[in-house]
Amino acid sequence: MFLEQLTARQFRNLNEVDLCWGPGFNIIWGNNAQGKTNLLEAVYLLGHLKSFRGARTAELIQEGMTAARLTGRLVSREVRHRLEVSLEPHGQTPRLDDKPVQKLSQFLGTLRPVLFTADELVLLKGAPAGRRALLDRAVLQADPGYLDRFHAYSRVLRQRNQLLKERAAPALLEPWNEALIENGARIRHDRQVFLAGLQQVLSGIGRDIADSSEQLSFGYPHAGAPDQLQAGLRREQEQLLARERQLGQTLAGPHRDDPEPLIDGRPLKLFGSQGQNRSFLLAFKAAQLIDLERRLGEPPLLLLDDLASELDAGRQASFFAFLRRRRGQVLITTTHPATLGEAVCPQARYFRVEQGRVEERQAI
Amino acid sequence: MLDSIPSFARLVAELAKFPGVGTKTATRLAFYLLRQPDAAAAALATAIVDLKRNTRFCSVCFHITEQDPCPLCVDPARDGSLLCVVEEPQAVLAIERSRSFRGRYHVLHGALSPLDGIGPEELRIAPLLDRLKAGEISEVLVATNFTVEGDATALYLARLIQPLGIRTTRLAYGIPMGSELEYVDEATVQRAVQGRREL
Ligand SMILES: [Zn+2]
Repeated sequence: MFLEQLTARQFRNLNEVDLCWGPGFNIIWGNNAQGKTNLLEAVYLLGHLKSFRGARTAELIQEGMTAARLTGRLVSREVRHRLEVSLEPHGQTPRLDDKPVQKLSQFLGTLRPVLFTADELVLLKGAPAGRRALLDRAVLQADPGYLDRFHAYSRVLRQRNQLLKERAAPALLEPWNEALIENGARIRHDRQVFLAGLQQVLSGIGRDIADSSEQLSFGYPHAGAPDQLQAGLRREQEQLLARERQLGQTLAGPHRDDPEPLIDGRPLKLFGSQGQNRSFLLAFKAAQLIDLERRLGEPPLLLLDDLASELDAGRQASFFAFLRRRRGQVLITTTHPATLGEAVCPQARYFRVEQGRVEERQAI
Repeated sequence: MLDSIPSFARLVAELAKFPGVGTKTATRLAFYLLRQPDAAAAALATAIVDLKRNTRFCSVCFHITEQDPCPLCVDPARDGSLLCVVEEPQAVLAIERSRSFRGRYHVLHGALSPLDGIGPEELRIAPLLDRLKAGEISEVLVATNFTVEGDATALYLARLIQPLGIRTTRLAYGIPMGSELEYVDEATVQRAVQGRREL
């Protein structure tokens, strides 16, 4: 699938942008702080109804304006779809093919861009929350219905934490214990099934992309059928309940799990070098692209934010060789378009961004 | 601009309190009313006043009614051994439309939600237990919404009801997650009632 056209109005510093993208490589170039990443953010938002920089809707609207609007025209299996998101300070309204959206997951399933930013490199080695975010984002891209299940679990978690904080009677807590087990086991199951499917691709790709002979995998602390996962979570909850009551918060559940990137079976976060860290993330993203292409029956859109600054020449070369073979649409931001010439990105289209204005222009 | 027409501004402000209605829609509705003949506006006003004056909650089942107890509670053709528990009066209307249930009802007026400060005392749970203890009811069908809060409420009720030796069932099939019963079509509600399961 590919995004044929994008318009942005009063979106961050993009006042009035009308663009036609190419079906292959699109290189967005210019100095820093001109609006390159804002363009990727706009595309990402049309796919996920969320900013990948964690911005609230109000921050996305140009200063002094009351609303912003994004539209995109997408070609998927030779059918064109029109995506539109109107942003107001307190919310956003998506429209698909000029109609209001009944179910959010229907809109989220339409354009499924995979994002790769330099910021994600720190997630792999940092706190568990970062690795969970990386994994959840990938599961969501593979299965938009995961969003509803994720929200249901988050809601149960907040309700239960409230009761724990109030030191509520056991009879009041009991239904929320059950709800947490049921919804929590479902999240664990979703994550584990996604990772199991990805593993095949991931183990084959290390050599290909990341130029390494090491065996890459993504470990998850829980496995099994849904009823086994429920039984496991029930045991954990029973063990931790007294402590949960003491602390006034839920300790047993998928919101505390630590998905673990492994190299030759050893935890990356303990033993991995900077280079291995980068290789792992590249391989994970590449595996995700292949997995998603298998699900969609067509290559998904890839967004690369400022990758060149973080990758050495060797890793970058093998990653781009992979991208050339898979022939999907790629949007890349860079301050150095010269490094992404014809040999790296054949038949690329170039877009220059300067102070929120974008024009199609070959780099010099 | 509205400040110079106080009675218009007041109506817009009142209409904008409706669920799902913003200032824009409220203004459009107010303009519509402005163009209506006096009699039409008066009829609407009377209908609103009558609604509040003539209706109340049934003292037995807490459904909305004009007579107390409500027609559903006194109808001799209904099966008094079967009780359906719902969150809101709208759900009674939805189940009645499906014509799949011939027992009686109990409206809780909400669901458990600690974050909103809603516990068992805020719901009509105590009068429900009183009804069950009276002895006529042999099965309770818990038809709370299929939301996180509706599910937890169903579970909470099941734990209270089971010691009384009364069968407790829950709507089971066909109703999508996160949906409120009033928006589900009749066929789906019908299937769900028929496919109820033990809690
Ligand atoms: Zn009644």
